[in-house]
Amino acid sequence: MEEVLRLLPEGVKRIIQNFSQNDKESMEEIRIRINRPLEIMMTGKPVFPLLNGSEYYVSKDDAAQMLNKLSQYSLYALEEELKKGFVTIQGGHRVGLAGKVITTNGHVKAIRDIASFNVRIARQKLGIATPLVSYLYAGGWMNTIILGPPQSGKTTMLRDLTRIMGEGDEMRRIQSSKIGIVDERSEIAGCVKGIPQHRLGHRVDVLDSCPKAEGMMMMIRSMSPDIIVVDEIGRREDSEAIIEAINAGIQLVVTIHGHVMEDLYRRPSIQELIRSGVFERIVELSRSDGPGTIKAIKDKTGREIRRKKVM
Amino acid sequence: MKLLGAVLIILASTWAGIEWSRTVSERSRQLRQLKAALQSLEAEIVYGITPLSMACGHICRQVGHPVSWFFDSFRKKLDAGHSTAYEAWIESMEEVWKYTAFKQEEKEIMKQLGATIGQQDREHEQKQLKLALIHLEREENEARNNQTKYERMFKSLGVLGGILLVILLI
Repeated sequence: MEEVLRLLPEGVKRIIQNFSQNDKESMEEIRIRINRPLEIMMTGKPVFPLLNGSEYYVSKDDAAQMLNKLSQYSLYALEEELKKGFVTIQGGHRVGLAGKVITTNGHVKAIRDIASFNVRIARQKLGIATPLVSYLYAGGWMNTIILGPPQSGKTTMLRDLTRIMGEGDEMRRIQSSKIGIVDERSEIAGCVKGIPQHRLGHRVDVLDSCPKAEGMMMMIRSMSPDIIVVDEIGRREDSEAIIEAINAGIQLVVTIHGHVMEDLYRRPSIQELIRSGVFERIVELSRSDGPGTIKAIKDKTGREIRRKKVM
Repeated sequence: MKLLGAVLIILASTWAGIEWSRTVSERSRQLRQLKAALQSLEAEIVYGITPLSMACGHICRQVGHPVSWFFDSFRKKLDAGHSTAYEAWIESMEEVWKYTAFKQEEKEIMKQLGATIGQQDREHEQKQLKLALIHLEREENEARNNQTKYERMFKSLGVLGGILLVILLI
């Protein structure tokens, strides 16, 4: 939270500091939009905080200050980030940007006149993947797919699983593994200048904002990982790279968008992967009891080996 | 007694002449420093994509006083958190300028550069820096011309002025 506060314009900072420690803990997003009231998302609900009895309207100056601090007064250093539309800051938090978009030949070149900032506060949920361990580990980690709709906590789950794999677990006599993360959207490790900001263990190497298929091949060739971790696969090249990695004797842990395992058979680029049975475990997530609810864990034939108890 | 006074007057005026001529040569030396600093800054921005405060930290280790003072002060102001880079730039200029031999022209050039520093993409930053360098180049040429023209003159003027004063007084 300190890292976020340092970034905020003075006016907004003062308001946030007025919140109690508890409220600060529950903040998920701080939304700053020019000429519109400051909005804070707390446990899924929008809050428009008051200052002296009225909503705080964000001024142009506030936005300029925010951008200055975000870029360390050096906008030219943010070129790549302005193209992608977000900046990852220290602590793995992420600031989304919106405004006037400049294009060349129909491709986004940069965002100029930034009018909206969305500060998404990253909170690593340590231990969220612990219940999975006994199903995914049997003498070695199994190739695993984490499946779930958006906002079901796939990436959070993947991150914690990565941490457990990277740190090992003395109690269960699981040794730590060398892990290669191909982090195309900088979400798993939340890197700043290539250094992971989340706790992932000491044996993790990250290819930050690298295209997945190419990144997997690079990892195989140069970094000799035991396990490769990739977020949101789905394209044909990804599947090819996965087959390549598995043939090289590397274990894979990936996430895919989808609700249930049957969905995967309908996606041409992925169905072959599933049919060939290289993935031994499929973890289905849902958001029915909040993000990160484990709905089912299945083996490669689709047989459930654990079902969430119905209460 | 008279002789001692005469020698003192001549010594003093000679010293004044040398000081005077130094301001002329000092300006072109500092202009060279400033140019070198801006060239480093350009490389840091265009090829290193280094944020300003870090880039200025590198620069002040590369160039001599008093130009390094300016970049050092600018860096400190950025790290302390100023509202804009331009403000920090101008304030640093105000602080350091009196220790330099620069004239109004250089001040204008640097002010213009400060107005856009850190607020554009790499391409435009480079253009602005190139422009500032061209202007400084012109000032340096002028300063060097002045140096060859006036440096010797000021020195001899000092000595001769002293002698003139002595003759008049005697």
